Amino acid sequence: MKTSLTALYDNPNIWRASQRTSCEQKYALGHQPLDHALNGGIAPSGVVRISSHTGIGELSLFKAVLTEPQKHKLRVFINCPAIIQAPWLNAFGIDLKQTLAINTQSDDDALWAAEQCLKSTACHCVVLWNNRLTAKTARRLQVASTHNNALCLIFCDNPPDISLPISLDLSLHRHEKNVTVDVLKQRHGWPVKGISISLPWTPDNTAIQSAMHKSTSQQQAFNSVI
Amino acid sequence: MIWAYFYCYQLTLDAHAQCCEAQEYADPIITYSDKDNCVIQLNQAATKAGIERGHGLAQTAALCPHVNILTFDADAEKRTLTALAHRLYPLASDITLDSINGIAIRLDNLLQYYGSYDILWNVLTQEFNHAGIHYHFATAWGIEAAKLLAHQGINKCGYTQQDIARLLSTCLLKHSELDSKTLSTLSKVGIHNVGQLLRLPVHELGRRFSNTVIQYLTALRGETFPQVTLFRPSEHFESFILLPYEVENTAHLTRYITQCITALEHYLRARNLLTSLLTFTISYREGQPLIFSVSSATPQSSLSSWLSLVSLKIENITLLAPATSIALHCEQFELIEEGTTDFFSNRFTTIAQKQLIGRLKAKLGDTSTYTPALGDSHIFEQQTCTNVVTEKTVQYTAVSPTFLLNTPTPLTTSTKICFGPVRLESGWWEHLNYKRDYFIAQTDAGVRLLVFKDENQSWWVQGVYS
Repeated sequence: MKTSLTALYDNPNIWRASQRTSCEQKYALGHQPLDHALNGGIAPSGVVRISSHTGIGELSLFKAVLTEPQKHKLRVFINCPAIIQAPWLNAFGIDLKQTLAINTQSDDDALWAAEQCLKSTACHCVVLWNNRLTAKTARRLQVASTHNNALCLIFCDNPPDISLPISLDLSLHRHEKNVTVDVLKQRHGWPVKGISISLPWTPDNTAIQSAMHKSTSQQQAFNSVI
Repeated sequence: MIWAYFYCYQLTLDAHAQCCEAQEYADPIITYSDKDNCVIQLNQAATKAGIERGHGLAQTAALCPHVNILTFDADAEKRTLTALAHRLYPLASDITLDSINGIAIRLDNLLQYYGSYDILWNVLTQEFNHAGIHYHFATAWGIEAAKLLAHQGINKCGYTQQDIARLLSTCLLKHSELDSKTLSTLSKVGIHNVGQLLRLPVHELGRRFSNTVIQYLTALRGETFPQVTLFRPSEHFESFILLPYEVENTAHLTRYITQCITALEHYLRARNLLTSLLTFTISYREGQPLIFSVSSATPQSSLSSWLSLVSLKIENITLLAPATSIALHCEQFELIEEGTTDFFSNRFTTIAQKQLIGRLKAKLGDTSTYTPALGDSHIFEQQTCTNVVTEKTVQYTAVSPTFLLNTPTPLTTSTKICFGPVRLESGWWEHLNYKRDYFIAQTDAGVRLLVFKDENQSWWVQGVYS
């Protein structure tokens, strides 16, 4: 007997909580607890919104996603917080010849540019800084990215508290050496809070400090002997 | 020799008809010359209303109050005539433009290509009809004779000597190019038409009239070879549209731009060319015209692709005053290359990339989109630039931040140093006085900044590590 629910079961956009995820290929981020919470990683297409302060390592978190796949396609950075630096991109592992930086006068122009890049099939990933994403514009970007197999990362530092029709919604906070990731919403999965990962994203003086600490303790040991 | 002369008696009206709607053209329209205060050209609806050629403005207004008036402009007529000659050039070799509304075409040397006069005539008249030009035509053994016949309004083709002579004999002298003094002298002796004039012996006339008159007469008889410069088309593409009304909104210009680009498309297709740069000139009634260019990443010729780029560009343009005309100029051409087919998908990506960059630049401006490249300097401000300066990497990239602020701002938040110091003294050869100690500092929120201490021991923030 076919129940009226069968039509719902057959729809691929609806899943049951007891089901494990679909076997779609995902980009692993490289941090085991986060990848586990995301059921393998980030989907290869769709919109990911990341709410975080600028400068806590939010771009470095997506290193594997930005550098490895589809090397012949463009990575586009729209409306960066300041002038994006070529040496950093080079050291990060992004090919400069496949990078594009766009600065627009208004947010609407930025959203238009993002949609054009996603629809052009020439981009692997569009990274956009925008604080005023509405459900309507997010839906347009989601459709454009899923239809053209491209990824869209949107960074906000002060997002409005609304739920968007996108693949993944993350929030990052830094506490000393660790970053806490909250998965606010994800496709085919549950929200998870409080995933802590260690993310070193700049050079630091720990090596020198540990060496100095070792030498002072040795000095103290030496002095105690003498 | 057989020459055909086309007297285009209403070029301004025909050009206007090209760019306005059909129902607008059904209203009475006249072309008025303010120098002579008379109506020069009029369409059918105006003739029906009772207006005739030569009427003054007051008379016209009395006969037909809602008549549409176009000002006569000799330059505009000449331009339309030149555009017509460009269209005819692929069909006929010897074309000459006469004053502002006549075209003379030599027919007898084209006979070997077309086969017979009838086919040749059909081809030429079809081109005129496609262009929408009204004309009086005639053929004769020379340009002056053909012009005389055309002005008379004969509208018949005679290809033999007898036919031409018969047609000529019926023409009135007032359509010829003789000046009024000669005409009045001739009429005093009772010579009103060309047939009578041609029967007079030449040496008698030579005694009484000037050399110019005799030259004209011998040319009329077909006894001299015409000394005219033949038309040669220009090497670039030019299209000019006089707008039927003053346009204040750029959105309304799209229709006329489409017309220009369609003409360009035909031009390119006929010559197997592509182009990647169009230049538009929008003229106002007073002041400097507005000139803007639209370039595309790849050379192309199709209307749809150019129209999408141009409409993106004109969205950002505001007209300072109502526009009176629009012109398109194109001189960079490339041949269509039969490229080898390529099975690698990367090739399509390259073209898609170029098209994307073209679209972004058309809407957002040329400086909005760039590829960051490595600069050849240790100074942070010069490490990223938009032109490719060097292929090799600068050695000191470990401390490079993700984002660099436009100018360093004073450090106000409390921070803790995590890395450094890195002393940078540079640019003394350019008198830059650059002496800074760079550190990476972390704020309480966990944000890592590129800070530096300058010579005056004050702290500045210059970048963010992301």
